[in-house]
Amino acid sequence: MKKIASVVTALVVAGGLAACSGSDGGSSDSSTITIGSIHPTSGALAGVGGLMDDGAKLAVADINAAGGIKALDGAKLKLSSGDSQGKAEVGQSEAQRLIGDGAVALVGTYQSDVTQNVAAVAERGRVPFVIDVAVDDKILDQGYKYSFRVQPDATSMGTSGAESLAKIGEDSGTPITSVAYLHIEGAFGDSVFKAFEKEAAKQGITAVKEITYPATNFSDATTQVREAAASNPDVIVATGYFPDGVLIAKAVSELKPDIRGLYGIANGAFDDGSFPQASGASGQEVLSANYHYDANSKRVGDIRTRFEKKYGKPMETASILSYQAVEVIAAGLEKSGSDDPEELREAISGIEIDDPLLAFGGPITFDERGQNKNATVIVMQIQDDAVEQVFPKDFATKDLVFPVGSNG
Amino acid sequence: MTDTSTGQQAQILRVSTHPTTVVAVTVVLLLAAVYVVGGKDSGLVTQSIVTGVLLGGVYALVSIGLTLIFGVLGVVNFAQGSMLTMSMYIVYALVAGPGIPVYVATLLAIPVMFMFGMFVQQFLLNRLTSTGSHEGPLLVTLGLQLLIANVLLMIFSGRPKSVGTPFDGSFDMFGAIASYSRVIAFVGAVLVGIALTLVLRRTSLGLSIRAVAANAQGAALVGVNVRRVYALTFGIGAASVAVAGGLMTPFTSLTPSVGEQFTILAFVIVVLGGLGSVLGATIGGLIIGLVQTVGALYLPGTGSLILVFAVFVVVLFLRPQGLYGAK
Repeated sequence: MKKIASVVTALVVAGGLAACSGSDGGSSDSSTITIGSIHPTSGALAGVGGLMDDGAKLAVADINAAGGIKALDGAKLKLSSGDSQGKAEVGQSEAQRLIGDGAVALVGTYQSDVTQNVAAVAERGRVPFVIDVAVDDKILDQGYKYSFRVQPDATSMGTSGAESLAKIGEDSGTPITSVAYLHIEGAFGDSVFKAFEKEAAKQGITAVKEITYPATNFSDATTQVREAAASNPDVIVATGYFPDGVLIAKAVSELKPDIRGLYGIANGAFDDGSFPQASGASGQEVLSANYHYDANSKRVGDIRTRFEKKYGKPMETASILSYQAVEVIAAGLEKSGSDDPEELREAISGIEIDDPLLAFGGPITFDERGQNKNATVIVMQIQDDAVEQVFPKDFATKDLVFPVGSNG
Repeated sequence: MTDTSTGQQAQILRVSTHPTTVVAVTVVLLLAAVYVVGGKDSGLVTQSIVTGVLLGGVYALVSIGLTLIFGVLGVVNFAQGSMLTMSMYIVYALVAGPGIPVYVATLLAIPVMFMFGMFVQQFLLNRLTSTGSHEGPLLVTLGLQLLIANVLLMIFSGRPKSVGTPFDGSFDMFGAIASYSRVIAFVGAVLVGIALTLVLRRTSLGLSIRAVAANAQGAALVGVNVRRVYALTFGIGAASVAVAGGLMTPFTSLTPSVGEQFTILAFVIVVLGGLGSVLGATIGGLIIGLVQTVGALYLPGTGSLILVFAVFVVVLFLRPQGLYGAK
């Protein structure tokens, strides 16, 4: 028994080591400034978590290569990585560890519940926390002073998702009056749906059907999609993560309901680089309203090219947000000329960054809650196995096809 | 003498057909009730039944391997889900690399997983299972689960992967839509179920497995190599997981933890069907699939899963040994 216990311990330790081999301790060197990065680099979300950690690393490397923080005599940045394993309590202890190790600011974390816990730790430790990805409104509703979010929150995504859909309908001369809405169960799906429903009503669109599906053990969407189609909507809207999004797209293409399009809002699948391949023919012309990197920006193109060369995988939006979050902290350091977390917080709260990496008009600037005022969604569409930006026109890389299938 | 034995046989026969009849009658009555007084569009109900049966086939496939390992070895195999993921990635690697068609790749994955299962039992578990320890194998399989997930993560990264199928598309089945790949998976499940039942009932290996399951010590006394049977059983369990994984890849997004969601449901199905019963796992899988999809018409979100566990509790209350379990 003892022997077996030690074998198991060894296995677990080996697994743990594999998971956190990227992290190392904080710095005590005065000419380096440590930033803590917390992402799920092991567990179910390890793929995207790893990309995000690499995004933050690239940002640090770029800033150091350009001479470091000039206001601090060219002080170099150093990224200390923590693995949340996708669990709220682990994220919390990692945040405590990183702050204890001398991190002057944190970036993270991808999941709303983990982010919520890390935000509480950052608040107690009086260390600024720049959220790269986490959609739940509640995180910033606590009145935290040290948390800032670059991406739009759930409510603003649901709201602008509805606005965009209404405009797309009008522009194409086929106004939309009804939708059936499929969303994942839980705070994420609920909050996006509620915001959508409210704004849609103002735009003359009725959500005739709301269908929720479980976040676990969901391996066939046919029944749910058929139920949605049974209400004869103009459009089927879907909010959820990657695997369920693929199932929904496949079910829609198999059932062929008489709709003008499948439209994702804050959907984790429809504008992911892996989606066209995963969904095959069923992914064609699927629409997605989501925050997205600006595909027309030269700076974004350059960063993505270098990322892919260095890490061997395409840089998705989440990873670019991690890059952006590090830039926000660096800009805060430049502005305050100090690596004191309190002064850094002060500087970030009044910051204005003019060339955001994400597609939205206007600079990154935070309101009193810490939410980026100008963050919004744009609409993308799968065309010829690629994710294209199609709406609004200013950000378009290809022409929008709507109603779907009207292209011939 | 002849009379008693015939009487006993009749008795056994009656007891063994009993659960199937009860289950079939109950399921048919409940489904009829859903059609007649369920207040849902009949096309929708048909769709949910077809979806449920096809999904149930997948569940059955995952559970058949587990029920053998659980029933014969008494090992609570927490690595079942990870082994499922592992076989999916083997199939993925064969499809993405040398470009082998997905169903041929599945056939190739079967011996690989069989050897893997034999290896695990032979070198990690055998001494623990023969001492009758329960927590030992449980911890080892837990460790194995972590190991498999992290190794897959290291090799394939966590980005979702997908596998295409030559039989993409769907067809109309009683007014419901059924995709080819899911129907193939269902047929595969039925074939594996029949094949395993035949192996267990008709071959000498099957006889040894049943003997070891019933009484390992007694089997050893009459010359059965118990350790070898254990290893073979784990191997067969792993091989049926390989079939499950292979047949599921065309309609699943692959991530290093995708199989884990099936572990709990598979345990539910195995206990529901009766430990060690291949038929029980198949019927149990179908019941759970149906309950989940038809239930989703009335209880959205996690509601259908709650219904699954409610059915589980009711069945165990009425029949603690499971549908096909020996008393």
